[in-house]
Order: sequence, then C-alpha cells, then structure tokens
Amino acid sequence: MDLGISALNYVSSIKNGEFTVEEFTSKSLERISQVDEKLHAFLRVNDLAIKNAREIDTKIKSNQNVGKCYGMPISVKDNMCIEGSKTTCASKVLENFIAPYTSTVISKLNSEDAIIIGKTNMDEFAMGLSTEYSAYGPSRNPWNIDYVPGGSSGGSGVSVSANECIASLGSDTGGSIRNPASFCSVVGLKPTYGLVSRYGLVSYANSIEQIGPMTKTVEDSAFLLNIISGIDSNDNTTIDNKNQDYLRDIDIGVSGKKIGIVTEMTNSEGLSAEVANATNDAVKTFEKLGANCEHVSLQMVPYTVAAYYTITSTEAGSNLARYDNIRYGYEFDSSGFEFNSYISQARSKFGPEVIRRMILGGFVPSAGHAGKYFLKALKVKSKLIAEINHVFEKFDFLISPTVPIQPFKFGEKIQDPVSFMMIDFNTVTANLTGIPAISVPYKITNGLPIGIQIMANHLEEHSLLQTAYALEKTVDLPEVPV
Amino acid sequence: MKSLVTEEEISNVAKLMKIDLEDHTAHIKRVQKMLEYFDILDNANVESEEITVQETDLDKLRDDKHNPYDKNLLKFLKSYQGKYVKAPKLN
Repeated sequence: MDLGISALNYVSSIKNGEFTVEEFTSKSLERISQVDEKLHAFLRVNDLAIKNAREIDTKIKSNQNVGKCYGMPISVKDNMCIEGSKTTCASKVLENFIAPYTSTVISKLNSEDAIIIGKTNMDEFAMGLSTEYSAYGPSRNPWNIDYVPGGSSGGSGVSVSANECIASLGSDTGGSIRNPASFCSVVGLKPTYGLVSRYGLVSYANSIEQIGPMTKTVEDSAFLLNIISGIDSNDNTTIDNKNQDYLRDIDIGVSGKKIGIVTEMTNSEGLSAEVANATNDAVKTFEKLGANCEHVSLQMVPYTVAAYYTITSTEAGSNLARYDNIRYGYEFDSSGFEFNSYISQARSKFGPEVIRRMILGGFVPSAGHAGKYFLKALKVKSKLIAEINHVFEKFDFLISPTVPIQPFKFGEKIQDPVSFMMIDFNTVTANLTGIPAISVPYKITNGLPIGIQIMANHLEEHSLLQTAYALEKTVDLPEVPV
Repeated sequence: MKSLVTEEEISNVAKLMKIDLEDHTAHIKRVQKMLEYFDILDNANVESEEITVQETDLDKLRDDKHNPYDKNLLKFLKSYQGKYVKAPKLN
C-alpha cells in the first residue's frame, strides 16, 4: 500500500476495492507512530480514527451513499475548532480549551466522509513562519530534519510531505499555507478572501486570513476546494461561488495566457541564487508551454511587509484581548487578585512572539502613532489593491518564488526580527489584496525544496489551478527521504 | 524620519495591553527593531491615498433574530456561579 498516493488515486483505489478505509487508516496511524516522534507534525491524533474508518467501510460494503472523501485521512491545523476536542493554537493559554462547536470547513469534510486524523502543530496563534514559536516545540522538515518546515502551518505541511496523511487544511494570514508548502514540497493554496468560511477558525487577523488546502498534487487542492468553498451563513464575508467545479478541465493548459513576472519579488535583496534560478526555469517552462511571460512592476511591494505586520498586529491585539482567563484560558483562582494583575498573570502564558505582536498591536494604532503606522499601512494596502487591479487588466497571472530563500536551520533566522519578517516578502501581497495564490513544488536543490508562487485575480481559482497543474506536470521530483 | 520610540513608551503600551514584561529588555529591543523597520512606510508616498474599506451589503448579513443555542456554554467557563461569570475584583 502506497501511503504517498494522491487524494484522487486514494478514492479510485477504495472504489476498486484495492484496500479498505480501515487498512489505509491503520497504515497512516502506523506511519505517524513511526516518524512523528522525529518530525512532530501532530499535536494530537484522533483516537476515534479507526472507529470512523470502520463506519465508512460499512457504508461502502452496504452500498449506502458515501461522501466524496471515502474515508481519506486529512490532518487539520490546530486553530480550527472541532466540538468536544482540544483546539490549542499551539499555545499554553489554550492548553485545555475544548471547542464548543465545529468549524464549517471541518463540518464540510465530515459530511463528505473524510477522517480527521489529527490536529497539526503551528506557530503559536499562527504568528510565525517556521513553527519555532510553537509552545509545544517545533516541527521538523522531512527533507532534512535539521531544517525548519516553514510556518505557521508547518505541521500540516510536514504531515502531507511525510505521507502521514493524504492532505491537510492550513490557514494563511501572510503566507502560512504557501511558505510551509514551499519548504516541504507540497501544494498549498490560499484562496480568495471569502471563498472559504472562517467560522470556527481562531482569529488572528481576520480581515485577511483564509483557510486553504495543502496537498500532494494540484488536482487534490482542486478536489478539496470543491468541498470546503462556498457561502456560509455563519461567516458573512463568504462568497457564493455557485458550486464551481475546480477540477473541471484542469488539464486545459496555459497556451496564450499572459503571465507577469513580479520584478520586485524576483530581484529582491534577500533572494537566494538557487531560488532565483528555479524561478527563471519556471518562467522558461511556462514560455515553452505557450504562455507569454514579461516583467511587471508592483511598486507597493517593498512596503508590504511593514504594512502587513502593522495591520495584523493591530488585529491580533484586538483578537487576543479575549484571552483573559475569564472567558478563555487556563485555570487559576481569581481570589486575591486585582483585575488587571490577574489578566497580566494569565497572559504570562503567551509565548514571546505573541507578546511582541500584542505590544505592537497596542502601539501602532494608538493615539499619536496611528498616522505614522496604522493609517499609512492601510493606505499602502489600498494602493497595492489598485496596482493589482490594474495589472490584472493586462495579465492573467503573476509569478514569483513563493519564498525568497530555501528552508533554513533551526535558530538561524529567529534572532533578527527584521530578516525573519522579510521571509514573508513574496507572500503577503496576496493576503493584503485578497487574491488567490498557490505554491507549486518545483525543484529540490541541495536536498531542500523550492516552490513557485502563482497568483491570479479575485475568484480566478479555476484558471489558477489549471496553470498550477500545467507547471506541476513538467516536474519530476524525488521522493521525500523520511 | 527615523522612529524615536522609547523603551518607556513601549513599556506603557505593554501595561495598557495588560502584559507584564518579565524579560523586559529582550522584548523591548525586538519591538523597537520592528518599529524601526516600519519607518519604511514613510517612503511609500501614500499620504494622498484614500483608504478603501471592505464593505458588506446589508442583505448579506444574517437576519436579526434570536437563534437559540442549545449547548450549555457556561460549563466551558472555569469560574462561574449559577448563571454568573466570576471575575476578579476591580479596585
């Protein structure tokens, strides 16, 4: 049994009776127990997975209606709620938080007979890009365990890359799906803002974050997007996509399409030579496939990292205010405490990056500073949206490296906050403007992955996935060494 | 213009956010570095730019009606008496 098969091949194999859901689930759990002590992709594994698998096998055997997932094991980032089980956001503050309701995306997966095999590791409250800020210790890159897997959805990326499950759901506020997808050599899609419901996702910066699939193939991302997208009465930012089928005509190709190579993202100071070479190769590949590629400038891009951190810190400061140990938190008695000191005491359980973001989030929108930071960041965002709208009048897609560098060693970047932030340089544009973007595994250089980012206009996921599929079909990457 | 954010200013904001800075210097230095980087926004030349806001049509909002929730949410709280949440006293 090949645990590395795609979601679509898994469904065919189950339908053909090559193995049962229980057999595949058991093998996946075995794989997790073999490799996860080393990789630490999971914070918790679902104890009911085998029971769920047997129930789906029974449905299959008795010719009942079976959901599209046919019991495929899917992992979920630990910031999405499942009723009656822990959702920690990799934080000590929520160490014992039991969710009272289930997020829409999980309900949709459950209704299609997916098996949620476990909750994955992440940077605390999704603030970070390496999982080094998880309160439960980092995940490790299956391509080389001395290197970070990216983040914040690092555990999700690892779980898919290391064949511990078929697919995963991550969340992306500034690249948190695409960055670990690039670092772990899996496909990661950040959908258009509003295409996927955020109901039941623990908020960090709710004006820009999105849930999206992390998968072994582009087709699998289209398959999962078919399930999780669409309007939700519990999230009034959601968009009615009229049940679009993202798998339809996925192999249509890119002939005649216009692709803009974002100058600021392909000439940036921090871009490594290896990543630059891979990007140039990808552009040549698209040209060979019949696309027209030319450089295009987005002049606001150099300011996007500062704008992104200003806006997200402000929203985080507000969203995290609820963790006061009264409504949410861990247990310690309030008697003997004055109100403010009690909450300060409760917040001492936050990790260092969350503390810093909350301080920033209090500072940048405050009276006397808002004009210099927060309002200017909003203006950069507005101007960037105008630039994006303008370039998509001429181009169908934009291309760049997903991340300017390859995976780095633990501790290598974390000491310098500015160079750490700059790793988000190519990914935050899609979040600030709400457009969809995908990372496609493209190359393994020096034993470490490089992903290529493709961006499209709002709600153009269908053509974006077709383009990503065309690129994916030109590459033949080695198997993950773990 | 370079940022002149002082340690005292950052400490005051931390206090307002009800955060006790145990590792005082390390946090403040990193926040200062980040704010210093944010000065790059001064070069963006966006002063005259209008801020566009995300609009939600009123007809997209949920109906303004009471939806009964049958789960006992109070049991998820750590400290409560009857139907009241227990909170620390305000001085």
